[in-house]
Amino acid sequence: MTQQSDGSFRIIGRSLTRSDAEDKVRGKAQYLDDLTMPGVWYADVVRAPVPCGKLLGLHFDESFDWTQVVTVKPEDIPGENIVDMTGLDMPFLAYDRIQYQGEPLALIAAPSKALAREAVNHVRAEVEELPAIQSIQEMVERHKTGLADSLRLLEKKEIRRGDAEGVLAGAGKVLEGEYWTGFQEQLYIEPQGMAAEPMESGGVYIRGSIQCPYYVAPELMKVLNLPLEKIRVEQTVTGGAFGGKEEFPTLPGGYCALLALKAGRPVKMVYDRHEDILFTTKRHPSWTRYRTALAEDGRIAAMEVDMILDGGAYTTISPVVLYRGILHAALGYRCENVTVRGFVYASNSFPCGAFRGFGAPQAYWGLESHVEDLAEQAGLGPDEFRLKNCLQEGDITPTGQHLLTSVGTPAVLKEALRRSDFHAKLARCDQGRPGAKSWYGIGVSFFAHGAGFTGDGEAKFGSRAAMELGRLSDGRPGLTLYASSTEMGQGAKTVLAQMAAEGAGLPFDRVFYPLPDTRVVPDSGPTVASRTTMVVGNILYHAGHKMKCLLEEAAAKHCFGGASVRLEGGRFFAEGVEARPFEEVAEVLLAQGEPLRTEHQFALPPHIRWDQERFVGDAYPAYSWACNVAEVEVDPLTLQIHLRKITAVYDVGRIINPTLAIGQLQGGLVQTIGYALMETMQVRKGLYDANRLQTYIIPTALDVPEMDLQFLEYSCDELAPGAKGLGEITMNGLAPAIGNAVRRATGCRLCAIPMRPEDLYATLYQGAKD
Amino acid sequence: MKTLEEIFCRQPETLNEALTLLSDEATRGVLLSGGTDLVVQWQAGAVPMPEQVIDLSAVPELKEISAQDGCLRIGACVTHAAIRNHALTREALPALVAACASIGARQIQSRGTLGGNVANASPAGDASPALLVADARVVTASLAGERCIPMNEFLLDYRKIDRHPDELILRFELTPCPQGGIERFCKIGTRGAQAISKVMGACRVVMHGKDIQHMALALGSVAATAIRLPETEKLLAGKTLCEELVDEAEACVLREVHPIADIRSTAEYRRWVSGRIVRGFLESL
Repeated sequence: MTQQSDGSFRIIGRSLTRSDAEDKVRGKAQYLDDLTMPGVWYADVVRAPVPCGKLLGLHFDESFDWTQVVTVKPEDIPGENIVDMTGLDMPFLAYDRIQYQGEPLALIAAPSKALAREAVNHVRAEVEELPAIQSIQEMVERHKTGLADSLRLLEKKEIRRGDAEGVLAGAGKVLEGEYWTGFQEQLYIEPQGMAAEPMESGGVYIRGSIQCPYYVAPELMKVLNLPLEKIRVEQTVTGGAFGGKEEFPTLPGGYCALLALKAGRPVKMVYDRHEDILFTTKRHPSWTRYRTALAEDGRIAAMEVDMILDGGAYTTISPVVLYRGILHAALGYRCENVTVRGFVYASNSFPCGAFRGFGAPQAYWGLESHVEDLAEQAGLGPDEFRLKNCLQEGDITPTGQHLLTSVGTPAVLKEALRRSDFHAKLARCDQGRPGAKSWYGIGVSFFAHGAGFTGDGEAKFGSRAAMELGRLSDGRPGLTLYASSTEMGQGAKTVLAQMAAEGAGLPFDRVFYPLPDTRVVPDSGPTVASRTTMVVGNILYHAGHKMKCLLEEAAAKHCFGGASVRLEGGRFFAEGVEARPFEEVAEVLLAQGEPLRTEHQFALPPHIRWDQERFVGDAYPAYSWACNVAEVEVDPLTLQIHLRKITAVYDVGRIINPTLAIGQLQGGLVQTIGYALMETMQVRKGLYDANRLQTYIIPTALDVPEMDLQFLEYSCDELAPGAKGLGEITMNGLAPAIGNAVRRATGCRLCAIPMRPEDLYATLYQGAKD
Repeated sequence: MKTLEEIFCRQPETLNEALTLLSDEATRGVLLSGGTDLVVQWQAGAVPMPEQVIDLSAVPELKEISAQDGCLRIGACVTHAAIRNHALTREALPALVAACASIGARQIQSRGTLGGNVANASPAGDASPALLVADARVVTASLAGERCIPMNEFLLDYRKIDRHPDELILRFELTPCPQGGIERFCKIGTRGAQAISKVMGACRVVMHGKDIQHMALALGSVAATAIRLPETEKLLAGKTLCEELVDEAEACVLREVHPIADIRSTAEYRRWVSGRIVRGFLESL
């Protein structure tokens, strides 16, 4: 399914079997809850009973024997009662104001889960309830009617290029559209789980199902009143995350650490599914409004975008989600006058958080739905309009970034349109034709995703990784890699080892990527932002190359009598003598007792410049590009939407492992089918209404249509070996492609996802959305 | 807090043993068949975990499908998979077969039973409309004897059935679809499998040319229990099928059902699609 890889690679570009596959298939992988922890107690949380209010007191029922359990109340916190994330507005335990229902008020650990829960049930919170904000609709209404001051603003940011307002004011016709998206739950298979135990040396050892070991430790320094080196964090085998284990695990990690330090014993907390859905982060609900003027020739003269995200109760990482949202909200088409304004307001629900795509899926639901109307206004087909206006090599983005290298557009667009036979099928769309047995529709979307941290974030962060020659678990010599990037099911363990092995000139099975432990590994950054393969892969590829040089030098000295030596494909070659296998030479080198270790620090191409204050410059070091085509059949009798086929063409740079890359694409697209057509939850009476797998509906195998998936490899040569981001762009564009197909099938534009038959009915026959 | 392991579970091996256990308050327990609804409800805390359970899965009389005296008998503990695969049901009850094939997915169908689906008494129980159009009778048993109750009377209200504490559902007796008769089943779910119905419907029709000789219509998830649609049936029976009649029938259904909104759907859509399901049935004849 992929183009031929560059022939100069031995290991990159091959569909090697995942190195964690056997353990997982055989059930040998040890997830947090599988680990034996002698003397472990179980944590539970006393939660706020109202979504918004004032806490007047916590009453501990005297009939309960409190000596059986350990409790942590706000006054028991050794440090500051604060979660140290982007904003400093979230207390670990609420003590005055309650900002969401379920907000932690006190922590309890007990020898059994049942006893911990019983203790929780013997605590009563006395509260004075206050009016709550519980929907984005309410938020947008206040924003529009000048009542924004009545809302808590968590962040705002603006992108400005040219003079969009001026052009729009003078334009004859301005096209407007408003688009909505709702909550989405990550629904990783393994629920959230963390454990902590006091260390003999002082401090605390925290383990769990996490994406970012180096987020947990610094975010807990304040609350635990411990220096960084006294907080050791280790990842346990992680069964899916999708962003849900990015910033969130700091909370249960902190609960367990506080309790473990007070109890003087290990404490763990593993959420059950119900609790996990109710009291963990969701994707931010969004509203976008587009106002666009077209020029006579069908080009885009000016575009103005407003974006609002519902941040939930506290700031957490919402500002960063907003930045990614507004950076993608007008990213796709040439336009010299662009304004994008973004706002995150607080509501009284659980803080929203990271989810695959991180603001970009919300942005593209707006942009790619809106572009459909622009095409019509311009008198062009949706394919023609996109081909005419799409960004290409040499073009400039809304932040003023020149797209210079690895720009797979318009190639992805042309290839997806060709493969799906889009233009011919467009003429067959039913547009709600009366009497038809089935309404057919086809829709397209074109989109990007910036890989890595925003702007020069990667340069400033300076991610590092290392590797060392030693013995692997089979007792034979090999390289162990040291980085904080995490395997969470996506295949990082395998792909990173492939790139390291390629750089080092060693076979894949001689390179091992362990679960990161902050006591041992350097900080290669969080496993987020579609950065791991591109950035950490680049670091390990270079560190591998350094290792190759080091091994060649040492081999020359100790095994080849000083002759010049070349390591290739696991064999050492020297002029005039027989090649010797790596393992034989490595045994000699290990016997020398000298550590053979290399390290590398990430460096961005020097031309990347970013002004965070003005939001101007190179917003991302590289972009992936893609086009999705969706074909649907809507049943005129019941208005059920049946997705029949997805054609998806992606430029994500060089493909490291084709099978895993396709797996990411399939998984992301299926997750987006749920986002687009099924997954719905609202806050009702303070809590999410869909709170179990029975009510939170995600796609099954029967809901997955035929998929035609293709990669076009526009290698990012500035960042060898040339991969760009893949994980997130899989979720950016399918929803609007389906929306555009539904429009061509029914003649009806739905402005909100998920698109359910109920919504089609309301729009087609009730005249308004309920 | 109770766990599943703490529930006391008896597994009678004969019908008499089961009825004896039920006859005594001391040994009486919650009746368990496939457990696909009950165990989930216990785990979710939707209903409290019981002290004791009587597991009916080893009682042979409850697992039989047979034809007798012109009617089809299906034991209460016959699985959806068995109904789906049995020659007798496939021949005589196509709507029920289709309904059972739409429940959960293969795993659920292999464990879940017809008696459990009815006894759970959810308005979204997929089998009920098909049972209603087949004029099903529910036969219950206790040590005192058997009772035979028409299905529409057996379903009392939301999550309520006419079963006495000392009784179990023995079997269902259904009238086979007559020669030349047609049955249809339609389910509007939230997804392709593992879906709880937003609305589902079944019909049994006997046509003579374009004339409707017999019409039985039932819907689920639109009221507290699955219901027959007597008004619409009356409107259609004895008429000649034509476009105007289909329009009238659809309109009649809208007058006849008053569904509610819940997490799966809106009241408005449910009502509208109820009419559309009936239209679909009629247009397919």
